[in-house]
Amino acid sequence: MPSPALQALMLDAFWETAAMVGAAAGIAVVLGLPLALVLVLAGPGGLAARRLVHRPVSLLVNAVRSVPFIILMVAIVPFTRGVVGTSIGTAAAVVPLAVAATAFVARLFETALREVDRGLIEAAQAMGATRWQIVRKVLVPEAAPGLVAAVTVMLVSLVGFSAMAGAVGGGGLGDLGIRFGYQRFMPEVMLVVVGVLVLAVQGLQMLGDAAVRRVSHR
Amino acid sequence: MTLTRRAAVAAGLSLPLAARAQTFAKPIRVGVTAGVHAQVLERVRDMLAPSGLVVKVTEFADFIQPNAALAGGDLDANAYQHQPFLDQQIKDRGYKLVPVGRTVMTAMAVFSKKTKTAENLPDGARVAIPNDPTNGGRALVLLAGAGLITLKEGADFRATTLDIVQNPKRLRFVELDAAQIARALDDVDAGAITGNYAVAAGMDPLRDGLAVEKADGPLVRQYCCLVVVRQGDEAQPWAKALAAGYADAGLKGWVTQTFKGAVIPGA
Repeated sequence: MPSPALQALMLDAFWETAAMVGAAAGIAVVLGLPLALVLVLAGPGGLAARRLVHRPVSLLVNAVRSVPFIILMVAIVPFTRGVVGTSIGTAAAVVPLAVAATAFVARLFETALREVDRGLIEAAQAMGATRWQIVRKVLVPEAAPGLVAAVTVMLVSLVGFSAMAGAVGGGGLGDLGIRFGYQRFMPEVMLVVVGVLVLAVQGLQMLGDAAVRRVSHR
Repeated sequence: MTLTRRAAVAAGLSLPLAARAQTFAKPIRVGVTAGVHAQVLERVRDMLAPSGLVVKVTEFADFIQPNAALAGGDLDANAYQHQPFLDQQIKDRGYKLVPVGRTVMTAMAVFSKKTKTAENLPDGARVAIPNDPTNGGRALVLLAGAGLITLKEGADFRATTLDIVQNPKRLRFVELDAAQIARALDDVDAGAITGNYAVAAGMDPLRDGLAVEKADGPLVRQYCCLVVVRQGDEAQPWAKALAAGYADAGLKGWVTQTFKGAVIPGA
């Protein structure tokens, strides 16, 4: 068993990971859903098809998604400093994580929203529903299981991404595994870190699956 | 990541620094790379704690960010780089950074699980060298010193495999992450490993190395790592206290003992 000092470090690292993943996920959901709605509604065949809106948004999302995360993290350092006031530490790691997760989850949300039966939307239109009403009363509620599943996939990916936070001194479990398990040749630390991460991801997936069952009315 | 929550293990240390107690206005933030520099800084932090200077350690898994963060004001000091690297960074990026003290140096050695002497390396042997610019060049200089290859006239730590002019054994170089080489030693014929990683992996550079950088050699002195601060902070009491912490005799003894001579206290 690792020494008490190491156990304290692991506990710190666990909370750092939880904070990074939680904060980034929250921001990503809040920003990602409107983005996904723009992609769906303004996209070809959408309720408000607008090429001039859809194209740039789609390009931006693709651009962010094509940048390897480690590069994104160091490339947006000036932006990060502008947002959280520092370029290092756990808070600073949240910014690139949130940016990457927003683009990622926007695409997942988009897919979930496209799965909604067109018949339902047409029925709502026939009843004279406005676009905003269709979004709120039909599109989002009907896509809810897919949206929740998308959040779960994003959360698990964020746990993986957060391991790279060490490049900006962000801490967290993955970084602890690298700094102690890898750099200081302490395989037991690596083992514990991986074990905790496996359990955490398992827990996230189970929670996500349970949430999907709750919101799905089939 | 800050390690302040970790209890400072101050007991049993010689504390000449505590004697001249000073008041320090605020904690200082010091950046290091993970591994040996973090280990040594943690020790320095614990030694400085009784003097009232609170050192917040931020560990980086990257060589560029500690300087960027220092220049940008997110750190007060860093302690992970040698003079050639600092010079290169200042030249490339225009940083206004100055060294105020020396930390430690890690001697590099060539290890092999297949042969006991460098001359016995087979023709076409695969040799692992670090894939970061300065340490990769260091490895080539070390191999040249052992007579295995010849480098271009005047080649130094900046050498790359392109600077090799003679390679009689037709050695093939495999560039790997520095910490990975000790682990990959079974898969190559030899590998150049910096002392801290070699000791952590259970090897003794002085005993097992086919070729070792000399502790008193100009090369190793050149690679002594530095305490670096922003220009204008050189005379700050905390900068002097930090540098003095690294120069403390108690710390030097601890470094020598912990790393079995593979990490050499500087200053």
